[in-house]
Amino acid sequence: MRVKVVLELSNSSAGAVPQGGYRSFSGKVTKYYRKMSRLPVYQVILAVTGFPTFLFVLVKYLLAKQNSRYYSCRRDMARQLEEAGAKEQLHQSVLSSTQKKYAFLHKETSQEALNKEVSRAVEQRFSELVESELAKTPEGQALSRPDLASSYESWMESPLFFLFSLVTAPVMYLIILIYSNPYSKYIADRLVMMVFVIFGVTFLVFTILYFSPSDPAINALGELATPEQVQRFKELHGLDQPYLVQLFKAFKNIATFDLGKTYIGNEDVLTALLRKFPATLSITLASLCVSLLLSIIPGIISAMKQYSAFDYIFMLVALLGLSIPNFWLGLVMIMEFSIHLRWVPATYSAGQLATIIMPAIVLGTELSATIARMTRSSMLEVKSQDYILTARAKGLSSRRVTFKHILGNAMIPIVTAIGLQFGGLLGGSSVTEKIFNVSGVGSYIVDKQFVPDTPAVLSGVVYIAIIISIVNLAVDILYAFLDPRIKSKMKNY
Amino acid sequence: MVQKAAAPAAAAAAADYAAEYIRRTQARKLKRSQEYTASRFAFGTSLAIALIALLLSFDLAEGTVNMISLAVAAIFLVESLFELAVSLLVKRAVIQDRELPRALRWSGLFSAVMVLNGNIFASISGFTRLQRERTIEYTLSIYMLLTTVCIVLVSSLNLFKAYVANTFLLGMYILAGLIVFDLLAMLLISRWVTRSATSRKMLPLALCLILSAATGNVFALLIGIITISKLRHKDKDINIEWIDILSRLFRNNMSIIGMFLVVFLISLSLCSFLTFDYSIAVQNNYGAMLLAPSLKYPFGTDNFGRCVFTRIVFGARISLVVGMLATATPLIVGGLLGAVAGYYSGRIENIIMRALDVLYAVPSILLAIAIVAAFGASTTNLILALSVSSIPVYARTVRATVMGLSSAEFVEAARACGARDHAIILKHILPNSMAPIIVRATMGIGTAVLSTSSMSYLGLGVEPHIPEWGNILKVGSSYLETNPYLAIFPGLAIMLIVLSFNFFGDGLRDATDPKLK
Repeated sequence: MRVKVVLELSNSSAGAVPQGGYRSFSGKVTKYYRKMSRLPVYQVILAVTGFPTFLFVLVKYLLAKQNSRYYSCRRDMARQLEEAGAKEQLHQSVLSSTQKKYAFLHKETSQEALNKEVSRAVEQRFSELVESELAKTPEGQALSRPDLASSYESWMESPLFFLFSLVTAPVMYLIILIYSNPYSKYIADRLVMMVFVIFGVTFLVFTILYFSPSDPAINALGELATPEQVQRFKELHGLDQPYLVQLFKAFKNIATFDLGKTYIGNEDVLTALLRKFPATLSITLASLCVSLLLSIIPGIISAMKQYSAFDYIFMLVALLGLSIPNFWLGLVMIMEFSIHLRWVPATYSAGQLATIIMPAIVLGTELSATIARMTRSSMLEVKSQDYILTARAKGLSSRRVTFKHILGNAMIPIVTAIGLQFGGLLGGSSVTEKIFNVSGVGSYIVDKQFVPDTPAVLSGVVYIAIIISIVNLAVDILYAFLDPRIKSKMKNY
Repeated sequence: MVQKAAAPAAAAAAADYAAEYIRRTQARKLKRSQEYTASRFAFGTSLAIALIALLLSFDLAEGTVNMISLAVAAIFLVESLFELAVSLLVKRAVIQDRELPRALRWSGLFSAVMVLNGNIFASISGFTRLQRERTIEYTLSIYMLLTTVCIVLVSSLNLFKAYVANTFLLGMYILAGLIVFDLLAMLLISRWVTRSATSRKMLPLALCLILSAATGNVFALLIGIITISKLRHKDKDINIEWIDILSRLFRNNMSIIGMFLVVFLISLSLCSFLTFDYSIAVQNNYGAMLLAPSLKYPFGTDNFGRCVFTRIVFGARISLVVGMLATATPLIVGGLLGAVAGYYSGRIENIIMRALDVLYAVPSILLAIAIVAAFGASTTNLILALSVSSIPVYARTVRATVMGLSSAEFVEAARACGARDHAIILKHILPNSMAPIIVRATMGIGTAVLSTSSMSYLGLGVEPHIPEWGNILKVGSSYLETNPYLAIFPGLAIMLIVLSFNFFGDGLRDATDPKLK
């Protein structure tokens, strides 16, 4: 073992296979560096995260730009072409074609505008011509235009530089590493987008509440409050500060999970939300389960037996479910099952499993109807595809065709719909919570909005938006791994 | 040996195939005959209504029988049996490829008058049977007439009240005149309009029909526009596309029932200006608190003695207006944003779509709550809140369609001719991407009505003194134990209107789907 290492060391020092591993590695790193530096956004990211390295690269680039033979060659070529009258020719042809265009369209333009348009087109075409002519000459082929990536490449030839930049700018290499794998790049892109969306939501909701004509101080203290009291209240909650300061504070609060205190009752918003989230989440998840149970299998049967009595009746029921106001359904259920039949209590309490049934059904009605219709229509669409005919023709059993081929392909839009509808469930829970007297986040927001108690409403809405974004992100990522079509797209991501 | 044994089996199989073939041809023939499908549909729906009325007439807890409900059940049962008999006779004639007998056609007159007890399905079947060759104009005129008759029936319930609106008699005269006019129009249409040609004489009638649409009768408006555009259209052999879509829509029973209910509610909310008294809906009457449903108060009275039926009639107006405005606003704003984003890919698209992502990340009802929280609960703010939260939905729909179209050949042709971008978007792309947008908007009105009532129920919607359906329901919800009808009727009204819009939207989607042409 030891001998081997020594051998390798001696080999590398002797230069027989000089830095073979390193060279291919550095080549890869440079490749991604070059790919990333093509987009301005990534260029900025690379410059900021790899600051010392970037300085080196920049210096080398500037030097290379001054000394490069590329520019002088290009100038020479341009002069040659101009002397040969290429520019004149171009100008003539562009001018005549532009004039023809206007004549054809029966449009009048001033001479000045025409000249401007022509000269712009000529400049562009001429520079294209120079580039292409330059590429034809053997000298021009050898030269390449100096850019940041190539100066980085030349630096990277020495492992010492790499070591130095790795130590000084580990974040940059982490980003390059993430970028190198399409999946991790996709996930990172989506995460960045999510953060952006969350700050956008915070900005939106805060701005709406900030420009509210009703004054929370008066609403919290009552009509009889003295101006001093109002002033003190505003100072206490920072309401007298300018808009941008308050907005920045809201961003900071959301990011640091320090949500402040409510205007009325002075209770900590975070503890209140944490106390109320379990109820909302358990109702939402229960209704998700209920609606999956009620919708997927009947949807499949409906699609497999299209135009049967079951299909008609079930689709009618699904449409009814879509049209029923869910608070009304809740009221009718309370009337029937709690007041008349006395099966289950009308209000939800956390410990009792039976009390979750009615809220779950009421909240899940719309989702079940949507998923059922979605299942049916996407199964029907897949069913008429040619590859299903192929599967049947090659003699697969009808069960295998239905479950493996049709359902497998139809599942993709269904899963997306479920992911998207989950947001509606969480948001729609406020009405259901009000009916069944659940102390969840939804009814908390509704109770607090009358003031409006900005910290409570803002954090409630933003945290629900965060949960929805995370769920959607999870669905999308799941998708990227499962769907073969997306998998193949990923290769070119 | 083997062949001999196989022969009987093969013969049996052949007979099976033959029987199957005959069965299928017959089924196809029956499906094509509108007289048959209409009478079958009338039979099924009438029977269902009869059964529901029968169930409702027995109160098991108290052991009593509601005579009115029982009578309704009996009438509908008789009518459904009549339609069953008709459908069997029609079936025999259709299978034998014979013309329907004259008597059978004229029996349509009997079915047609069944609208007087509210059986519109039988009435539709009757009118369908009366006419041998039905044009789209004739079919529309059936629904036009039925709408007017139903408005008159509902309005005449006011006769049982202690007093009626000052304009009640005037309104009823106008409506009665309209019924006569609609009947006349129907007769003239069956004379002057054929599949292949429309007589020039139809023009004044079409103008009168368009005028009569002031009562909210969209069917009359449609007949007028169809007639005029057919008369203006020179080439008789080319079909006008939207008329084609309309006739495809009328093949689907459910979507037509949906459309009929929507038109009926629009018409009712316009006619109620004349025939209903607003004071009955909003003024307190402490002598008539919490009364059970009766002829005088069809849906009972609430805790202030206000007639719930009248309140629901007036609520239709508010729900429809809010629903339509809360759909039209995001449709225009989101539609334009989506069109721009779909046409210009690149940075503009990115900016618009990321901004809309932010809006989309907040559940619509929560965003609406936040907006109402900030600006106070009122009808305008509610419309604004619902509009803002549904902008991204419309923007995405439009963007997806526009993206598909912006590389289409006709757009390239327009670009090559030097058309400007805004002209291309507004004149070429948007008109061609209308179908999915209209479908989404139709369903969207239903959703907006639902959201409106949910918000009102939370106390965040329409002001509490206005008779909006959510508000009526909110009042009813506190009397669940003692007076459940206070919550049941407004809920049914909401469900009915949303269901109608959904049926209508579903039908429109099928009718505009190029795959199903």
